[in-house]
Amino acid sequence: MTDSIRQFFANRKLRDYATAYAFVLPALAIYVFFVVYPFFYTIYLSLTKWDGAKPVKEFVGFLNYEKLFADPRLWSALSHNFIWIILGTVTPVAIGLFLGVLLWRGVRGMVFFRTVYFLPVVLAPVAVGIIWKWMYNPQFGPINSTLRAVGLDVLAKGWLGDPYLALPAIILAGVWGYFGFCFVVIMAGLQNIDMEQIDAALVDGANGAQRLWYIIIPGLRHVLTMITAFTLILGVNVFDIIWITTRGGPGRATHVIATYTYNTAFRESYVGYGSALAIVMGLVSLVLSFIFISIRERGGD
Amino acid sequence: MESHVGASYQVTRRPRRPMGFWIAKGAQYSLLILFAVFVLVPFMWVIFTALKSNLEIAQDPLGLPPNWRLENLAQAWNQGKFSRYFINSVIVTVPIVILVVSLSCLAGYGLARLKMPGRMLIFYFFLVGLMVPFTAIMIPLFYILRDIGVLGTYWAMILPQTAISLPFGIFFMRAFFSGLPYDLTDAAKIDGCNDFGVFRRVMLPLAGPAIAALVVFNFMGSWNAFLLPLIYLQSDKLRPIMTGMMFFTTRWGPDYSMSMAGTLIVMAPIMAVYLVFQRQFIQGLTAGAVRG
Repeated sequence: MTDSIRQFFANRKLRDYATAYAFVLPALAIYVFFVVYPFFYTIYLSLTKWDGAKPVKEFVGFLNYEKLFADPRLWSALSHNFIWIILGTVTPVAIGLFLGVLLWRGVRGMVFFRTVYFLPVVLAPVAVGIIWKWMYNPQFGPINSTLRAVGLDVLAKGWLGDPYLALPAIILAGVWGYFGFCFVVIMAGLQNIDMEQIDAALVDGANGAQRLWYIIIPGLRHVLTMITAFTLILGVNVFDIIWITTRGGPGRATHVIATYTYNTAFRESYVGYGSALAIVMGLVSLVLSFIFISIRERGGD
Repeated sequence: MESHVGASYQVTRRPRRPMGFWIAKGAQYSLLILFAVFVLVPFMWVIFTALKSNLEIAQDPLGLPPNWRLENLAQAWNQGKFSRYFINSVIVTVPIVILVVSLSCLAGYGLARLKMPGRMLIFYFFLVGLMVPFTAIMIPLFYILRDIGVLGTYWAMILPQTAISLPFGIFFMRAFFSGLPYDLTDAAKIDGCNDFGVFRRVMLPLAGPAIAALVVFNFMGSWNAFLLPLIYLQSDKLRPIMTGMMFFTTRWGPDYSMSMAGTLIVMAPIMAVYLVFQRQFIQGLTAGAVRG
């Protein structure tokens, strides 16, 4: 026995392999136990009916998935994710691009503007939610108070209590907290744009819009795809800011897939059904991330 | 004499800017300032509200605080148990950052530079984890943590947060180590370093900036985490700052002065650190979107 161990370690190649695995093994063990195993466990739970307390998990096959397709709450939650993805991606990326183009050739006070625009990005989504919950406060919130102060009392309303306004209102808060991120990434991309091309275009008499459309945007292609995909995935997973501001209300007007899943599995204790929702969300996110990573691996060079 | 002065003036004078230039400049600055105001105004009102009494808020919700009541902050700090929440956040965040960064350096280095059968397979296996959202594993994880007996301890956050942060950390560090020149490792090996020695004495010292970015990224990730402690650290004794702040503002709901004072307490330190280490913050937080 000891001979074979000694032989094993005498073999240089095997010893190198053993060292190499030792580098990877600790991370692998934690990852397998706390990410991979729970993922398959979610799939199993999604095939059961369970309240989280009973000793027996009743196996029901695909029943949860059948219910899920007929569940209007799921479709409404997904449609809110969809709105969030569209507005919550286009707006901050557009603002970031706009400010980037205004600033990229160096402006007095450049550092000041960058510092300010990035400031909300360091805040937790929870803090962003709480700040904006106060901004939208119907009674004394700054938005309504300002409207009243300038005599526009009719426009003052309970922003987060209105089923049509609540979602756009939270998206605005999200944009406030996020556009600085897009701005900084786009600024980094702008540094790689060929100035000679711009100068040549100026000599040829190209106007600002033409320079933007024919030189700047194509030059930023990779950066823009990457940041769009990145923002999109955040939109699929959005939870914190919605839970802080409205908890999915009023009614179900701001529920998204993550809040619906959390609510179903942990507050209403439909663990099986909640797991089926989690799998749906996982699939959506998986497909989008897969596209994101393949772009990322291909692009950039 | 006169004409001589006039001539020299003509030579040194800057070219006249056309009117259009100044209009464009003015428009540019107005827009930049407009967005700066959009960012700063909510901060301003949080500070104003936090330093007023509730009566003062009702009388004048928009104006400057008439008395700048700094004692509001002390009161919120004490009544909100913020010292407890801050300590809890530190207790969970420090081990998470240490674990994620050290395990990611080891595994990232191994997967980038060491020969082993199935190396790419293991790498792709980790990469899949980058695509799995936390929501897809959060439900059974609760029961797993309960069954291994860590629910009700800080480990209920440390272990899962570390695990979900590893795929990105490994991806990031592997990309970094792959880019280092091979001559360095070869030279160190000739000098008699073994694999671990090369890693520790040659590679790690070079990885400073990458490690700093990863530290900021993970520090912010676990300090700001909300859903994870909401599910796994439900006891008030263990609650970190984010869920603590939520419960605080819910409990003090209509007491606007108290809830904004609490919010200010939570925001202020992170903003102060940001203003000092701006470059590191921006690099660390954009590490996910910019190629490492």
